[in-house]
Amino acid sequence: MQLGLLFVDELRGFYKSKVMIFLWIGLPVIALLFRFISAESSGQTIPFTFISALVVSSIGGTLASVMLAVFIINEKNRHVYDLFLIRPLKRRDILLAKFLSMYTCVAIAAFFAVLAGMVTDYATTGALPATILTNAGESLATSLSMIAVACSAGVLIGVAAPSVLVGAILVIYGGNQISVIPLVPTLLNLPDATVITIVLASAVALGLLVASIALFNRKQF
Amino acid sequence: MSGNRLEDDGFVTIHNLTKSYGAFRALNDVSLDIKEGEIFGYIGPNGAGKTTTMKILVGLITDFQGLVSIGGHRVPKQKEEIHKLLGYLPQSIAFQEWRTVDQALKTFGKLSGLSETKVEDRIPEILGMLGLADARHKKVSQLSGGMMQKVGLAQALLHEPKLLVLDEPLGGLDPLSRFQFKEIVLKLGNKGTTILFSSHILSDVQDVADRIGIISHGKINQIGTLNELKSRLSSQKTVQILLSYVSDKWQEFSIINNVTGVEQPSPGRILVHLESQVDDDQVVNDIVQSIVKLGIRVRGISLLEPSLDEIYLNYVSEADN
Repeated sequence: MQLGLLFVDELRGFYKSKVMIFLWIGLPVIALLFRFISAESSGQTIPFTFISALVVSSIGGTLASVMLAVFIINEKNRHVYDLFLIRPLKRRDILLAKFLSMYTCVAIAAFFAVLAGMVTDYATTGALPATILTNAGESLATSLSMIAVACSAGVLIGVAAPSVLVGAILVIYGGNQISVIPLVPTLLNLPDATVITIVLASAVALGLLVASIALFNRKQF
Repeated sequence: MSGNRLEDDGFVTIHNLTKSYGAFRALNDVSLDIKEGEIFGYIGPNGAGKTTTMKILVGLITDFQGLVSIGGHRVPKQKEEIHKLLGYLPQSIAFQEWRTVDQALKTFGKLSGLSETKVEDRIPEILGMLGLADARHKKVSQLSGGMMQKVGLAQALLHEPKLLVLDEPLGGLDPLSRFQFKEIVLKLGNKGTTILFSSHILSDVQDVADRIGIISHGKINQIGTLNELKSRLSSQKTVQILLSYVSDKWQEFSIINNVTGVEQPSPGRILVHLESQVDDDQVVNDIVQSIVKLGIRVRGISLLEPSLDEIYLNYVSEADN
């Protein structure tokens, strides 16, 4: 029950602090810009759906891990958590609520970006071939897997890093690289790569979250 | 030590509490008990260990040696039970910047186990009591330091906790707010809420505390009521005599029994210092007799008692030495 309350509270926070708006409008807009730039420079028209998925997977994960790490470090250092930790709730719920709310926000942004791609493709070509739909689904699954790993890495860095600056460096050094792990099955052309990607991403994200919770539980405030 | 012993000693029990940060010992074998419904003032210089004690009590610091319990529940093992009992105002209060006062109180009220209806009822009640009714829908980032402190107290009081832990609650408050704050603390104490609060403003502690604990260099120096602390103080007792006119006859007071010295710090104001273990009434009576005998006209005579500031400085400097 407390987790649900904290989750809704975090979403409200993202809404009030305009994080949601910037994500949900920002990602599709960046994808749109990228599409026009690439079309003009290469002279070819790559399906917008692909471009959107590409943009979401490359930017969405980084955004998610940076935002989570910065939020947690900032709130930890300002002693915002003191008032939560003295109430009858589990410490892990604070981190899980952060992870789930950020993942939800970025996942919705990713969905919007890919949807914008599909709508644009349909408007320009008048049809959406089955291959585009299938590839878009697979790309979205990969993107969401990468975002899950990036979010959990952001939580771990947020709990461990002593300052925002160190947190940002760790996200760039480590968080970004870890979030590429779900791409390995696709790069190796494994059969059922999408399924393996989802399983692998879930395992890595879970491992990172367990480590974050263990660290947070031992933390002295 | 048996589990019953902890409950018998007090609502809050701290036994042999030690906390170290590397080589630095922040708390050294601290023991104190606070009875149910008692207002306990906790004073000491900066870095003495007040905040560390409070953070251990509320479960923010879990790595320590010693026994700590609230209402018979061990800290930090039974933190779920303990957190239902307590309200806490930290020294520096911080909320997420996007919150309004209303949203902050709703969230913390619900997390403390209050129902939606109860939270809706309590928020205007608490804000009204603290003079914050107009600030309900303001963002916390727009509040002044004093108002923020009051919102901090509001979140601590919302769920009507049995134990209130207030770390420097009066810092940043104007005189009127300090007065209101003390009134609230006294009212809660009368209702049976156990209150532990620290302050550097010693007169505020004097106004509200049933008992006072003085901590210095991580060690409890003294615990007792204000009168007990005064009576334990080994410094001299002093009688102040205000003369109606300037006269040299005051030097005769030095021959009275149990008088250790006489001085005139300003014209017409005489201080007669007494031995520490003396019967005050007897000596004051002897001084009055002497005044009559010497034919001195006086405007007033009073026994000067040490203020909490003097008691505090005395005990803390004793510990420093």
